[in-house]
Amino acid sequence: MLKKSVHTHPKLIIVLLGVLFLLAGLFLFVGQTAVAQEGEEPDPEPAVAPVTNSLHPTFPLLDEDGNHVLETGKPVSTMQTCSGCHDAEFIAGHSFHADVGVSNMTEPGQTGNGRAWDTSLGLFGKWNPITYRYLSPEGDEVTDLTTPEWLKMFGVRHVGGGPAEYGRDGQPLTDLAPSADSVETSIVDPATGERIPWDWSESGTVEMNCFLCHLPDPDNEARKAAIHEGNFQWANTATLGATGIVKQTDGGDWQWNEAAFDEDGNLTKGVISIQDPNNDNCGLCHGLVHVDAQTPMVLNECTPEQWSTITTGQIMSPQKISESGINLANKEELRRSWDIHTERVVQCTDCHYSLNNPVYYQELTGSRPEHLQFDPRRIELGEYLYRPLHEFAKGQSAQGALAPGLDNTIRTCESCHEATTTHEWLPYTERHMTALACESCHVPQMYAPARQSYDWTVLQASGDPVVACRGIEGGGETFATALITGYQPVLLPRPNADGAAPLSPHNLVTSWYWVYGEEGAERPVPERALKVAWLDEEGQYSAAILDVFDSNGDGSLDETELIIDNEEKETLIASRLAAQGLANPRIAGEIQPYNINHNVTHGEWATKDCQTCHSEESRITQPMLLATNMPGGVTPTFVTNGTSVLSGELVTTEDGALYYQPVTEEDSLYILGHSSINLVDKLGAFILVVTILGVLAHGTLRFLAIRRNPNRHKPEVREVYMYTFYERLWHWLQTALIFSLIFTGLIIHKPDIFGAFSFAWVVQVHNILAAILVANAALALFYNLASGEIKQFLPQPHGFFNQAIEQTRFYLNGIFKGAEHPFEKSPEQKLNPLQQATYFGLLNVLLPLQILTGTLIWGAQRWPELSAQIGGLTYLAPLHTLITWLFAAFIIMHVYLTTTGPTPLSDIKGMIMGWDEVEVGHTTSTSATSAQAD
Amino acid sequence: MRNFKYIWVVGIILTALIILAPIVLFASKEMEKRDDPWTAVPNRLPPTDHTDLLPGPYETGPEVTQACLECHEDAAHEVAQTVHFTWESEPVLLPGRDEPVTIGKANQINNFCIGVQGNWTGCTRCHAGYGWDSADYEFPEENVDCLVCHDQSGTYVKANSGLPSEAVDLAMVAQSVGTPTRQNCGSCHFNGGGGNAVKHGDLDSSLFYPSEDVDVHMGRYDFQCVDCHKTEDHQIGGHSISVSVDGENDIACTDCHSENLHADERINAHTDTVACQTCHIPEGAVRDATKMNWDWSTAGQDLPEDPHEYLKIKGSFVYERNFMPEYYWWNGDADRYILGDEIDPNEVTVLNPPQGDITDSDAKIWPFKVHRAKQIFDPINNILLQPKTVGEGGYWTEFDWDLAAKLGAEISGLPYSGEYDFTETDMYWPLAHLVQPKESALQCSDCHSDNGRMDWEALGYYGDPMRWGNRSQTIGLTTDTEEN
Repeated sequence: MLKKSVHTHPKLIIVLLGVLFLLAGLFLFVGQTAVAQEGEEPDPEPAVAPVTNSLHPTFPLLDEDGNHVLETGKPVSTMQTCSGCHDAEFIAGHSFHADVGVSNMTEPGQTGNGRAWDTSLGLFGKWNPITYRYLSPEGDEVTDLTTPEWLKMFGVRHVGGGPAEYGRDGQPLTDLAPSADSVETSIVDPATGERIPWDWSESGTVEMNCFLCHLPDPDNEARKAAIHEGNFQWANTATLGATGIVKQTDGGDWQWNEAAFDEDGNLTKGVISIQDPNNDNCGLCHGLVHVDAQTPMVLNECTPEQWSTITTGQIMSPQKISESGINLANKEELRRSWDIHTERVVQCTDCHYSLNNPVYYQELTGSRPEHLQFDPRRIELGEYLYRPLHEFAKGQSAQGALAPGLDNTIRTCESCHEATTTHEWLPYTERHMTALACESCHVPQMYAPARQSYDWTVLQASGDPVVACRGIEGGGETFATALITGYQPVLLPRPNADGAAPLSPHNLVTSWYWVYGEEGAERPVPERALKVAWLDEEGQYSAAILDVFDSNGDGSLDETELIIDNEEKETLIASRLAAQGLANPRIAGEIQPYNINHNVTHGEWATKDCQTCHSEESRITQPMLLATNMPGGVTPTFVTNGTSVLSGELVTTEDGALYYQPVTEEDSLYILGHSSINLVDKLGAFILVVTILGVLAHGTLRFLAIRRNPNRHKPEVREVYMYTFYERLWHWLQTALIFSLIFTGLIIHKPDIFGAFSFAWVVQVHNILAAILVANAALALFYNLASGEIKQFLPQPHGFFNQAIEQTRFYLNGIFKGAEHPFEKSPEQKLNPLQQATYFGLLNVLLPLQILTGTLIWGAQRWPELSAQIGGLTYLAPLHTLITWLFAAFIIMHVYLTTTGPTPLSDIKGMIMGWDEVEVGHTTSTSATSAQAD
Repeated sequence: MRNFKYIWVVGIILTALIILAPIVLFASKEMEKRDDPWTAVPNRLPPTDHTDLLPGPYETGPEVTQACLECHEDAAHEVAQTVHFTWESEPVLLPGRDEPVTIGKANQINNFCIGVQGNWTGCTRCHAGYGWDSADYEFPEENVDCLVCHDQSGTYVKANSGLPSEAVDLAMVAQSVGTPTRQNCGSCHFNGGGGNAVKHGDLDSSLFYPSEDVDVHMGRYDFQCVDCHKTEDHQIGGHSISVSVDGENDIACTDCHSENLHADERINAHTDTVACQTCHIPEGAVRDATKMNWDWSTAGQDLPEDPHEYLKIKGSFVYERNFMPEYYWWNGDADRYILGDEIDPNEVTVLNPPQGDITDSDAKIWPFKVHRAKQIFDPINNILLQPKTVGEGGYWTEFDWDLAAKLGAEISGLPYSGEYDFTETDMYWPLAHLVQPKESALQCSDCHSDNGRMDWEALGYYGDPMRWGNRSQTIGLTTDTEEN
């Protein structure tokens, strides 16, 4: 019979429903709360919303006292509300997102990152020139930000809890009485600069905001507005603004909507959906997230909420770059996604997971018995849902130094990817993977712009610093009109958990600013004081400023004029700051490295071409522009938590621009095809040239001597079977190999000169040739040992020096006069004493050394420790190069001396055919064991 | 003793061998070349100039055919065996039937213009032959129409009953002949269903001169239809399940491309379950809107007319451009509604249900255009009717359904109770053209996201297989449950 329409599978539905029931049951059991609706049948209709969302039961909203918000009209308390099922206190108490450093504050300058005024490693206490404002410690004479002011400014990028709820000593902020004496309970009056008391009990505080990360559509704008206004207690309520549960009246108050609750006081089903944090939630504070692959993404202005996008240009989107609405250079060709993991539906939380999530939990290898690959004993889902740890797996970022104990808990590339199987094509795989982080090749280019420098030594009329971006051409700051070119990250060594420090991509943000106070106890000049120094009460540049800075006299200052490039300008600003009571104001500068781990691409777009790195213009050593000028001529210092190392040099160009130049030697890297030690090449070339000149001179003299005396005695010769077939084969094989090795070696040494050759292939061929050479040398050694021919190569102690001197005198004198060779060449004695000495050195010193260094360079990936013990490639490679130069010199000499036989070509012919012409009838006293030239 | 003179030649050869052999053996080849799809694309000889061979003049189509046969002796016989001429398949055994049946335009109906029977003169304009105007047509080989496929002058037009239009200069057309181009195939296939783009959803006049973003093969590489629809003895490869339900004459992407050609293993892991077309044809009707819905029941009223919304003779339509395909399992075969089959008027009758489901290892998820219609049926006998629409007494002239049904029944031999009504029918059109290159293919999140385009549960999965387990895991679980 004919089948009707598309049929469904009844059994499948039963199974599916069964699974759902089980999951739902588990969840309800765990909840242990009245919220669980006993006896209520699960909705028989298919859920419209995704299964994950529908699992969260509905719940009442409670205020800080645990009363229903409908009854009291007070703001919702997330701690009270969520405590119905979850251990909210545990969650808020175990979250570096909430803590942001407040529980580990130090005296200024004790954090170890080099900044003299930081008081913690987190957002609460760690200064950043990008946001500039400084959280003042208790006891400073000049106050910049007090705690309430910090919360107004930074609270929008803070999830609540931590310093938004508790003071620096751990007491609830609402317990503190308003007082101008403490930076925790006061606020600076912008008019007077004096502190006035702040009443926390009136403003309330911000509890850890569950809704911000667990709602699909949190009303972040309303939340931010409440925080900016200092209306802290309503911030979390405002996050629900888009759900219809609560409405803001015209007066700005929030009113609960009764219709959103059922008769039991629970939220009506469907008005709120609690879910896993998705990428959008993380993006609210961390950077630009654009999950919709179809709608073109646009980039407007950078705000601090898009932190990672500002600092590095990282954008999390599955969209193909070519499909974005950004004015990118060569956009049509960029048919890759912004981030392969986002493209492949990997969520932020898949790598940055909650550390006790039993799905992801993995025991550290240190404590795990070696035989155990997987330990099934883990907390139950229910336990997890009750106390989900809000410490998230993290890497070890150059700036986010908070919670160092959790460093490298993140799911790294290696946790998911078996890289060796996909990199079989890559020669020296191990070596590459030791020296380079995955991101170095898999984040070849940043396509969005990022911040390059902040100059806070000057102030625009708007009160903003002069900011420069990298990756933008023309159009200034507005992304809409500019051509976005993106930029290539700079590679810095970044120590891993295992102690290795592979190169990984970074952006460098350089800043200059005014500090005041004693050396070692300085503070950044408050923004307020800067404005007073630069602008008058109407917000216009002061006349004194214009006098000095307005070089074109148009009454305003543009970015070309806003530069402190002479002493007059510096002194003027310094004096205007000093006049406000800031002692010893001076310019300081710093470079912040920001590591780049997102915006990864797959093999097709990754760096694969060997010559990207193995060439003169190596990507590894590519310098990065830090700033086009150095305000006040101040060289910035590196500020880092030791997680990224700035091992390179700062270079200033003639036009005043400042560059960071990586120095690979500092990182113990010798990059074949790029690194070459000039001295070695010069020395080698010198030896080679001297040899060639010597040979030329000698040859010319010989030629002239023959011309002068054309009728000189031609020695009588006879033919002797000098070289066996194997000896000749061995010799010519070695010849061919050495020439090929020198040639391929030259390509590897200077690939730029030989662009036509594939670097990887040439390296392989070089290795194969070397293997044949070693085999050939070993066989020849065996042959000479077994046949006893070896003794020909051994200088005989008796009379050696005399004979050597005699041979030398022949080459220096006799040869020009047509004298006979001092030693007769014979099959039994082919080498003269000089040759014996030369070959002795060649075969016992140079060749073994060349084989050894070559093997170790080749073995750098197989036995890295061994190579490292001898100093690593930085020593091995130049030595290998130098020996090659010596070999080349030897070959010149060697070939030249073959022409000193009876006729210039007779020796070569002998080595080819085996039959050599030997002078007969000459009489020399010592000729019992005599031999003759090459 | 002197060794032989050319010992050095031996030496050179030996040395070279010792060095080169290991290099050849051990140095890996650079970027091994992927298999080259171009090797499967036919190389054609330039067409023979027929100007002197076919001087003409010719009065009728068959006269031209006669002239062709002087050299191409077997051509007409070959064509006469093909469905392009017979409009009817070899007998096939359909699921649930005892007897094999033949299927084709000649004897079955669709849910567009319904069927040929009784309407020959209009429908057979697209017949690759001459003069089919009644049930008595005997398909004589001399009536094979060579020109409709081989004309390269662009002036050949067929009129009623497939006869050349009167204005056609047959000699000039005959002299122009060459390998069929998109123009030849498209003259009928782009106009299926009675107009441009109506029927298939992936074949329309935008393919005459396609740009790159319409179809990668025809746009970027200027493929002709017959480059993929390879033809031997006039048997043209390829089939559509509306008229040809078994997959025997199937052509596939893998005829030229290797199955695991993606550089990405994760994508290759899809090819067992997902047809190439699913990702590489993200949208149907990328240029010209296609008919998605046809309601015959509203026909016959004097309403404002618009060929894309309402016509008095045909009823109301819904056209869509850039439509998102529907996705179903398909193993290449289809079932078929055969005239006379009883229907359940309370349910949608699928005229050509694609075969295969998640448990069928030959089936893959395919993109379909589903054409939904309301068409005439007999509510007493519960059978679909074949009304007469064209010509004398036809619905298009009389607007009388009863008369059209009665006349149609007489011709088709179906019973007609004298009562008629309209019932819902579906037809499935697998999409295979409008292929997009990888840059425009679907991305992961198009299917694997909260608002992805796959209805996983309808396809037989527990949920998104990325999270809930793939096909074999799903089947494995299902089987287990059944056994328990």
